[in-house]
Amino acid sequence: MDSALIPKGVRRCSFGQFILFIAIVGAVLLWGVFAMLLCWLKGLNQTNMNDYYGFALWIWADLAVIALGGGAFFSGFLKYIMGKDELKNIINYAVLIGFICYSSALLILAIDIGQPLRGWFIFWHANVHSMLTEVAFCLSCYFAVLTIEYIPLILENRQLDRVPFFHNLSHNMHEVMAVFAATGAFLSFFHQGSLGGVAGVLFGRPFAYREGIFIWPWTFFLFTWSAAACGPCFTIFVTWLTEKITRKKLVKDNVIELLAKISGWMLATYTFAKIIDTWYWAAVTAPSAGFWLPDFYSGNALYGPWILFLEIIICGVIPAFILVTDTGRKNRTTLMTAVILAVIGVCLNRWVMVLQVMAVPVMPFDKWVLYYPSWQEVATTILPVAYGVILIAISYRYLPIFPQEKELNPAD
Amino acid sequence: MNKEHSKAKKYGMVIDLDKCTGCGACMVACMAENNVPFKKDETNKLDSITWMRVYKLTNGKSFPNTEICYLPRPCMHCEGQHGHSPCVSVCPATATDYSQETGIVSQIYTRCFGCRYCMAACPYHARYFNWWDPVWPEGMEKSLNPKVSVRMRGIVEKCSFCFHRYQSAMEKAYYEERKELEEGEYQTACTQACPADAITFGDLNNPDHAVCQLKKSKNAFRLLERLGTNPKVYYVSTREWVRRSGDNYLRGYEKEGKVKKHRELAGH
Amino acid sequence: MKIGRRSFLSFVIGGAAGTALTPLPWKLTDDLSIWTQMWPWTPVPEDGEVSYTNSVCTLCPAGCGISVRKIEDRAVKIEGAEGYPASDGNACILGLSGLQLLYGPTRVRMPLKKENGKWKEISWDEAISQVVNKLSDLRSNDESPAVACISGSDYGTVPRLLRRFMTAYGSPNFMTVPSMQDSYALTLKLMHGVSALAGFDFENSNFVLSFGSGLIEGWGSSVRMFKAKSLWKEKGGKLVQVEQRLSNTAAKADQWVAVNPGTEAVLALGLANVIITQSLYDKAFVENHASGFDAFKKIVTGFSPDKVAKITGVEESAIISLAKAFAGASEPVAVCGRGQGKTPGSLHEFMAVHALNALVGNINKKGGVWAVPEPDYIKWPEPELDEVAQKGLATPRADGAGSEKYPDTKSLLNQFPKAVCAAEESPVKVLFVSGANPCYTLPGTKAVKEAFDKIPFVISFSSFMDETAQAADLILPNHGHLERYQDVPTPAALQNPLTGLAKPVVEPLFNTRHTGDVVIALAKGVGGSVADAFAWDSYEACLEETMGDNWDTLLEKGFVAQAFEPPGWDSAFTTSSGKFEFISQACMAESHQAAPGKIAIEGDNKKFPLILMPYDSIRLANGFIGNTPFLTKTLEDTILKGQDTVVQINPKTAKSRFIFLDDGDYAILSTPKGRVKVRVNLFEGVMPGVVAIPRGLGHTAYDDYLAGKGSNFNELISPVDDPVSGLDAAWGIRAKLTNVPL
Ligand SMILES: Nc1nc2c(c(=O)[nH]1)N[C@H]1C(S)=C(S)[C@@H](COP(=O)(O)OP(=O)(O)OC[C@H]3O[C@@H](n4cnc5c(=O)[nH]c(N)nc54)[C@H](O)[C@@H]3O)O[C@H]1N2
Ligand SMILES: Nc1nc2c(c(=O)[nH]1)N[C@H]1C(S)=C(S)[C@@H](COP(=O)(O)OP(=O)(O)OC[C@H]3O[C@@H](n4cnc5c(=O)[nH]c(N)nc54)[C@H](O)[C@@H]3O)O[C@H]1N2
Ligand code: SF4
Ligand code: SF4
Ligand code: SF4
Ligand code: SF4
Ligand code: SF4
Ligand SMILES: [Mo]
Repeated sequence: MDSALIPKGVRRCSFGQFILFIAIVGAVLLWGVFAMLLCWLKGLNQTNMNDYYGFALWIWADLAVIALGGGAFFSGFLKYIMGKDELKNIINYAVLIGFICYSSALLILAIDIGQPLRGWFIFWHANVHSMLTEVAFCLSCYFAVLTIEYIPLILENRQLDRVPFFHNLSHNMHEVMAVFAATGAFLSFFHQGSLGGVAGVLFGRPFAYREGIFIWPWTFFLFTWSAAACGPCFTIFVTWLTEKITRKKLVKDNVIELLAKISGWMLATYTFAKIIDTWYWAAVTAPSAGFWLPDFYSGNALYGPWILFLEIIICGVIPAFILVTDTGRKNRTTLMTAVILAVIGVCLNRWVMVLQVMAVPVMPFDKWVLYYPSWQEVATTILPVAYGVILIAISYRYLPIFPQEKELNPAD
Repeated sequence: MNKEHSKAKKYGMVIDLDKCTGCGACMVACMAENNVPFKKDETNKLDSITWMRVYKLTNGKSFPNTEICYLPRPCMHCEGQHGHSPCVSVCPATATDYSQETGIVSQIYTRCFGCRYCMAACPYHARYFNWWDPVWPEGMEKSLNPKVSVRMRGIVEKCSFCFHRYQSAMEKAYYEERKELEEGEYQTACTQACPADAITFGDLNNPDHAVCQLKKSKNAFRLLERLGTNPKVYYVSTREWVRRSGDNYLRGYEKEGKVKKHRELAGH
Repeated sequence: MKIGRRSFLSFVIGGAAGTALTPLPWKLTDDLSIWTQMWPWTPVPEDGEVSYTNSVCTLCPAGCGISVRKIEDRAVKIEGAEGYPASDGNACILGLSGLQLLYGPTRVRMPLKKENGKWKEISWDEAISQVVNKLSDLRSNDESPAVACISGSDYGTVPRLLRRFMTAYGSPNFMTVPSMQDSYALTLKLMHGVSALAGFDFENSNFVLSFGSGLIEGWGSSVRMFKAKSLWKEKGGKLVQVEQRLSNTAAKADQWVAVNPGTEAVLALGLANVIITQSLYDKAFVENHASGFDAFKKIVTGFSPDKVAKITGVEESAIISLAKAFAGASEPVAVCGRGQGKTPGSLHEFMAVHALNALVGNINKKGGVWAVPEPDYIKWPEPELDEVAQKGLATPRADGAGSEKYPDTKSLLNQFPKAVCAAEESPVKVLFVSGANPCYTLPGTKAVKEAFDKIPFVISFSSFMDETAQAADLILPNHGHLERYQDVPTPAALQNPLTGLAKPVVEPLFNTRHTGDVVIALAKGVGGSVADAFAWDSYEACLEETMGDNWDTLLEKGFVAQAFEPPGWDSAFTTSSGKFEFISQACMAESHQAAPGKIAIEGDNKKFPLILMPYDSIRLANGFIGNTPFLTKTLEDTILKGQDTVVQINPKTAKSRFIFLDDGDYAILSTPKGRVKVRVNLFEGVMPGVVAIPRGLGHTAYDDYLAGKGSNFNELISPVDDPVSGLDAAWGIRAKLTNVPL
């Protein structure tokens, strides 16, 4: 029915099947949209956030998707700047995932703020001292870059490409793409960092606060680093998931392994830096603010020392070890285990830097306060996932996302 | 006003915890003065707007050696270093600002867009978000004070040191062709309301103001002093356990010197 | 069409510039910016000229001077009035939030009549003529004693107009809401022989021994007490608090003495024992100005420190050192009246505590207890009584006050519901209620409500839709406290006589009428000698005339403070001996009760292993005025959580053989009188075995900001008669806590 739109020489499921799939995911999306509208019309009282948890599930999701979307900028960086040409076979998908992650992040921010219609004040009345200002500027700019990177991909659709205007537009954009990729990489280094800075500069919150250099706390660098390490892992993971679902091989192993290897080294160095950071924080920074490490991990029902162990050892050291070894990367099971652990690790890190920060009592007479999200929060957090799945499904169906697909799946 | 000729003020408070009875008059005076809204159920203290909140501290001992101390907590109007209070430096929209003229941390309701970053930054939980539209039962809006704007849903508010009272006092002084205020001319609603006379308010820079002497007491302390927030609210208590409750004391870190040195090294 | 790089760029830039040049985005942005500054439904208070009006707060008997800030004709803030005696510049948390009562949704806006359980608006003329008809009918049937009145106070022109009305009409049944002041008045009557109010020269005391008085919980004139407490701190005065719970007063005291529940009087006698045996008492006073000392000494011998230690749970050495410290201080004073002092108590306890003051000779002395004359500015001529009135007044009171059993007590409101419930047909057919909310504040509330149901015609003068107004048949709403004139007699426990004047701060908002005017109108309606007793044209005229020369001062300054020196010991006592009586004849007459002892509380200790005791908080109004929204907002979540009362228990109590309760858990609290679901707060500051419950919750009336929140302690208890006075002496009730069945 829609075969005219589908790229030449590839197989896709039937239109009916496709629509059914979109409808199911679409229902979840609508649920999320409903919750989003509730939040906009009735206000943030629809959430379980409170004055202790001014930042909660969403902001975690926001930070997490941005970290995971880091695959886009880092692959771009590797391909266009470092000249790793093999990565052209996965860069489209990385860009698409990045686009989804960043658009989701902006959407979440638009739901999260109490006065969405005043959101632009962040640009108009910008406070240059605020990490959030930096985040807002870089995030918006980078989203624009991702859009520019994504548009030529859309224009490559069989039907659109026949329109000469679109064809030429796409061609022109491709030519300047290296410039955008470089800009994107530069912007990303900053906003990933400033997201880390958001927590790291909170000198009133010793759990989050880190010293640093110039105006940047160490978390600035750790966030960029971890996004560069784990973002590509997420790209690999989603690619693998897409292959499983479509029951097709879409990207050649050497491409995946290259990306995995670089990620592995990034993760290894990141974990090393994270260990040093944690040690210095535990031994010097926190005590100077009146806290021993155990204070942050005891006296409550959720946040125990297991978190540190899980984040640093299980989701840091182990996947890094797997990914830097040849045998670890060659074996699909260990590779995917490592990739998933890395993804969990970075998400856990963002969780800790958003939610545990809020949970830890700072005033000596204050208590640990735990929080659980309302259904509206859960729905709006799932909303981007549904939206992402739909966008991937449509893009995969109608756009030549995977350049190696035809070669790997010759039509009979 | 001619800026060169008026000295920079540093308004602050000294609260005598030995005198505070926990009566809550300061809380209500503040709510009445500043149009703080109220809901039908305010027992969830995590979303109850109380610019002034009186905390109840206990010494943790068992019956009958238990002791209680009440600790009123307005906004500390942190000075940080050079006015970089925890909340001011993080606000992306410059909706909260540190005034070098008065030392007061302002909150601009019409500019705040409700990102709540400042709340995350404030270790004293002095900032409150308007999760709900404020609602006054019909007729009760008559008691609203026109000198303080009513806040809408979706933005953050906090104690302003009753800044409108400073403005009124300055206006009056201006008409009388004075540049400086007398100590009693600008007092906050909570200070005025405290029947136990536990709160003293004034210019910490002015040696003639009572706060300036009171804060020098050997029993004076500030909350979480070691974080570098540099608060302008001082507390006084003769009880050691109370003074210790003001900060997280760690062995080996008791001495101010060690902490200070570390902070200097860290670039503060 | 071929698009080159150049045309591509011009397309993009041109498009952006073109859009930006149209006014559309800028206009939209501007509108958005303005609209989001303030939504139309967020109120913008109107500005205007600022003015201040001084008045006196009448929300509780403390009568603090207030200054109300107004913007044009709107009252926007209540503050304390500088220079007003005792409260000087301050008001309490309730007084400060008084505008929420003035403008709040619980005001009764016009006369209301209940018809078939529903409120119907009715005109003032109609309402008054209905009451007049009823009163005239009863009077013509010689049933004048079937009319009764409950007044919040005995003093001031409105209560006195009501009392005068009852007298002229011919009913002895004028009742007042009891408080510790009644117990103190009786104590002074029996020990000093005078009709006086107990005043305490706290400002000059340097050792205050309080037997459970919540001195900074709202006891007496609360604002004055806060100031006194700070003064003690500044001057180095000591406060010792005897109480089962670490109340705010105990927390702020220099010493907290946790005695076993109900053994306060025993402790007082134990202290007396030490003072006497160690010869620490004031010989000049005891030998020359007191009688019955030997008999008292004999009684006290039975209360040796070791025995008292066993009963009270206070260590023997602590008893001895406390007695020494008290007697050794230059200006010591002992005080009782539990919590906010809104309930009377065991007369023996009051007398035992007062005896301590006598032992140290600080009666009518600097820093001590003073017998302050009752307010005497109301000097109306006695009403002429017609035959009906004379006959009516000669009948015994419905509440038993002044009877053979309780000859010295003036009013026994606590006995009244019992009397009504016990009779086949209610002896009272018309009941007026003014300045009181007995359907909420009286212990044994269930019986009170039952009595009210039985009384055919209940008339409330309340400005608010409180529990009693709800139970009434007719409401004749008084003006709000900031809309009316009202004289304010000497506040509770003040040592210097003081008269204040509350005056209208704003015009009455609704179709309300001053209770004084209504009483005058009723009297005129009934006619005859009743009308003759009310010669005034209006309440205001009556008030002005009553105040005489002081009227102008009252209008101007807001108060008249009398210079007062309490009489010296030579002339202070008008007992038969002319001396202070350690042992009153009234108590001797009491069968076996010569020795003050413990008042037994209700309940079997096997079935109810715990003791439920109420506590007061200054943030929780528990009198005839309910909490304002602001007040309720300040309550900690260890008092009220959601819609549930939180009771405080010691962690030890929480983990016994039968129960296991964690902080915040739900539990069933039962007493012989009732069962409620509560939450528990584990608090080390409560004596094991005691369940502490806040007073002031559990309203069924008022607005959504108060109604339905928590449980009313008064529904879990019933009064226990004091053997001497007949007043309520219950200080708690046996209780048990059980886990909520799953
Ligand atoms: N043109 C001009 N230049 C000037 C001056 C001037 O008046 N005019 N003034 C001079 C003076 S006096 C000074 S002090 C300097 C100030 O210059 P800087 O030292 O650069 O200070 P800021 O720019 O105020 O803020 C530094 C950064 O710290 C971040 N930050 C806030 N809190 C924390 C934290 O807890 N930890 C970490 N790591 N970062 C945090 C802020 O977000 C901000 O990005 O500028 C000097 N330069
Ligand atoms: N919102 C916000 N507030 C801040 C900061 C911020 O980043 N943001 N930074 C803070 C910091 S770090 C600082 S150091 C302060 C600086 O704050 P201020 O001390 O207020 O510094 P300026 O306003 O730069 O200069 C003070 C005055 O000195 C005058 N002046 C200039 N030269 C001379 C001279 O030679 N002689 C005399 N007598 N006067 C002279 C100027 O005209 C000006 O009126 O601001 C702090 N306040
Ligand atoms: S008004 Fe004064 S005494 Fe009362 S709680 Fe506030 S500071 Fe304490
Ligand atoms: S107390 Fe909190 S809100 Fe107030 S100035 Fe300090 S950081 Fe800011
Ligand atoms: S919530 Fe408002 S005041 Fe706070 S940081 Fe955000 S914009 Fe600034
Ligand atoms: S200073 Fe003013 S705004 Fe701040 S707590 Fe006191 S009354 Fe409220
Ligand atoms: S103590 Fe009583 S009279 Fe005084 S302000 Fe409070 S409620 Fe009013
Ligand atoms: Mo500076």
